[in-house]
Amino acid sequence: MKNATILIFIVIMILAVGGFVFANGKNGTTAKVVSNEGQVIVQGQAQNVILSQSGYNYKDITAEADKPITISADSSVGGCLRSVVFNFNGKKYSKYLKTTEDTLELPALSKGTYSFSCSMGMGYGKLIVK
Amino acid sequence: MTFQEFIKELNGDRVEGELIKTIFYSLITSFLILGLLYFFRFRYIEGFIEKQGYFLFFSALSYAFIIPAIRQVRAYKEFACMSGMMIGMTTGMIAGFLPGFYVASTNGMFIGSIFGMSIGIILGIWNGKCCGIMGVIEGIMAGFMGGLMGAMTAFMLFNDHLITSMIIVFIISSVILVLLNYMIYKEMKENERQIQEDHLWTFVITFILINLTIWLMVFGPRSGVFG
Repeated sequence: MKNATILIFIVIMILAVGGFVFANGKNGTTAKVVSNEGQVIVQGQAQNVILSQSGYNYKDITAEADKPITISADSSVGGCLRSVVFNFNGKKYSKYLKTTEDTLELPALSKGTYSFSCSMGMGYGKLIVK
Repeated sequence: MTFQEFIKELNGDRVEGELIKTIFYSLITSFLILGLLYFFRFRYIEGFIEKQGYFLFFSALSYAFIIPAIRQVRAYKEFACMSGMMIGMTTGMIAGFLPGFYVASTNGMFIGSIFGMSIGIILGIWNGKCCGIMGVIEGIMAGFMGGLMGAMTAFMLFNDHLITSMIIVFIISSVILVLLNYMIYKEMKENERQIQEDHLWTFVITFILINLTIWLMVFGPRSGVFG
């Protein structure tokens, strides 16, 4: 087989496989970050949880099960740790909590321990839902 | 013009004439393995394409571009120090950076950097030894640095256009690898081929690399950020 023919096969193969991957993965969690801008949580339902920094990581936080959670960060949290990322079942919730008034809204969670990190993955913490 | 000669030589009788075939065989091997595993196992995993599919696809493409450079270097066997160092550095860097980037995107920075460094250092040494110890050291250094950098870059871009960045990184790396093929041709066009090989090892290396990547991405350990 001539190299020109092989080259055409290569291009077709890449387009076919790439097309399949991108067509089936366009709603993917990797490319999509759920932003909470503009969401309204009914007062009284949500529980507020305040993040604090401990060394280079977050202090572990606790919340109640089956209630939406509002996350904010106190003034002890600095640097990239102010940009926090939660990952629940492949869905990411992320926000840069620039001031102590900024909040990140999370859905109601079932009991368990959930890991979270800063957006660079350098600082970690645990959300314990009881 | 030497580059035009190189393009012509891609259809010639020298090792450069086998580069496109090597890409083709490597892609066929990777896509066959991925296709079979997807059909029988991975399509039942929820969100497989979103979480691992993109990165496995680009892993297959990357290995298909790295392996021809190894074939070309092996064919000439021995190089001058400057060329050999460049070969060791380029191979180590790209072979470390890309797998590190892909695996870190699915498994986290630690696993990504370990995998990237391992692949980068091994392939860097393998290609760099064409000029002796200088190329070997260059391959180790570049593989070590590339693996760590690839994983770190992916992890830092995790919430900021990761897929787009991956495409850009892959395109730049591919251009560098094609230029490496050209550099090797330019340096060795007066020399005869030293080793004649069939394409069995293309299938074997691709098989090993893609299976290692698949296993790590799908079943390997993950860092805490992935929940």
